[in-house]
Amino acid sequence: MSDNRWKFGIATALAILSAPVASAQEAPDADEMAALCHGGGLSICVSATIPAAGTQAVQGWMSPDVGAAWAAGYKGKGVTITIVDDFRSSSRFSGNFGVGVQTQRHGEWTREEAGMIAPLATIRSKDFSTSSAVGLAPGLNVLNLSYGMYAKAGYSPNQIGWSAEEASIISYATKGTAVVSKAAGNDAVAVGGVTGGQQDYLDLALTGKQTAIFVGALSTNGTTTNKAQLAWYSDYAGSNPLVQSHFLVVGVDGSKTGLYGTSFAAPIISGYAAIIGSKFTKATPTQITNDLLNTARTDTLVNYSASVYGKGEASLSRALAPVSIR
Amino acid sequence: MREKSGNRVSFRTTALLLCALLGASPAIAQEMTTSVVDIHQGSPLSDQARGLGDGGYELQNGSRVSFNQWYRASWVDMHVDLLTQITEDTGILWGFGTGEEGEKYRIEPSLKLGFLTQMHPSPNSTLSLSLTTTIGGKLTEKPCEASYGDLGTYSVNCRLAASQLAPEETLKYLVNAKPESQHLWLNYRVTF
Repeated sequence: MSDNRWKFGIATALAILSAPVASAQEAPDADEMAALCHGGGLSICVSATIPAAGTQAVQGWMSPDVGAAWAAGYKGKGVTITIVDDFRSSSRFSGNFGVGVQTQRHGEWTREEAGMIAPLATIRSKDFSTSSAVGLAPGLNVLNLSYGMYAKAGYSPNQIGWSAEEASIISYATKGTAVVSKAAGNDAVAVGGVTGGQQDYLDLALTGKQTAIFVGALSTNGTTTNKAQLAWYSDYAGSNPLVQSHFLVVGVDGSKTGLYGTSFAAPIISGYAAIIGSKFTKATPTQITNDLLNTARTDTLVNYSASVYGKGEASLSRALAPVSIR
Repeated sequence: MREKSGNRVSFRTTALLLCALLGASPAIAQEMTTSVVDIHQGSPLSDQARGLGDGGYELQNGSRVSFNQWYRASWVDMHVDLLTQITEDTGILWGFGTGEEGEKYRIEPSLKLGFLTQMHPSPNSTLSLSLTTTIGGKLTEKPCEASYGDLGTYSVNCRLAASQLAPEETLKYLVNAKPESQHLWLNYRVTF
């Protein structure tokens, strides 16, 4: 984090949104989660691991939709995904996205995951400690935010003195100039909710913005016969209709990857957005966002309710399908 | 089907009988005779069109779209092949196909023209040659109109509307196939 981040009237702290390594059956200790994922000051929730890049094979942790999506050869070409994340710290952790165990930084993991979902997308890395504005590339842009900005609860988002980095991201989501895929958080509270006396102000700032998507984690990919439920750590949509209408869930199958956390949910949506963008080459970020939100499935989820799952489980196949045909 | 002469004895219903016809006694061919040599329904293009009906996908609301509804026809392309014998050893092969049409494809009617000739290298052998050309009979797949909600309405290949291909790209994969346009047939037969 650079010095100018501390120039803000209210300092927020970066927190990476991956959950601690644990089996999905083992409900985490709430205190442990708090300490790992959003503690005061500069905190990083360490957790899982990340996969190897560049491999174009459908992995077991991916939705079957992805393989079907690749069948026609369109894999995100022409779309730029910018991963705003940690690419510089000394913090590394291990995992396996199906290409062998690796030990990498958080950003290297999320970057790899997005690249595995949309192998032909251009993936750019932006270290979030630089605080400089995030630039957009020509064509469709998708921003992946697998982190939160935490500070003491009780302020209004407009009281936060955002750095150029977050200010640019919020601006893009407000104007609809980039799809912003934001990890929901790992505190098992409603998006933007208070946990340990703190709130993720980036969640709050993105609430109600036209191209912001909050992404929660399911413990598996859901099907109609084997419905999925929210992962034990994942933040949920909550009662705010503005969050519910921009909240999606995807499977984060940590039992296969060793990687848990909504940090690994957001890159899946980023990849989906890129694939949709490679099909609808003239679509705007707002149209891509709405397509993802409007085609989410609720019949693959255990006891669906909007306050938990928002719009539902993202469905790439349905997002690519017509509404009607004749 | 139509016939020009009343010589029903010379009617044939399969292509294999061409040989028999050409190998028949010269007395049979003294007058111009038209014979049906083959009547059949279906063709490789018919089969191809039927194959397009395999599969389907789900629309955004989850309702299933089956391709079968678009690629079935109430009438299957019927082909009638005839032979008009000009001389003892030559004849004109001709015929037609009715074509067929489904909701999303059409096989246009076709006309077949050609000739058949034979010679006898030896008293107990026959060398036959035929060449036919087919005009028309093209299989053309029609596009669909797909609505993607906010993303717009496009003319698309019906079968690929839910694929990752850009809607406009799917049109490149519309089937546009021609039937076998020319057919050369050579036969040598020895009787012993």
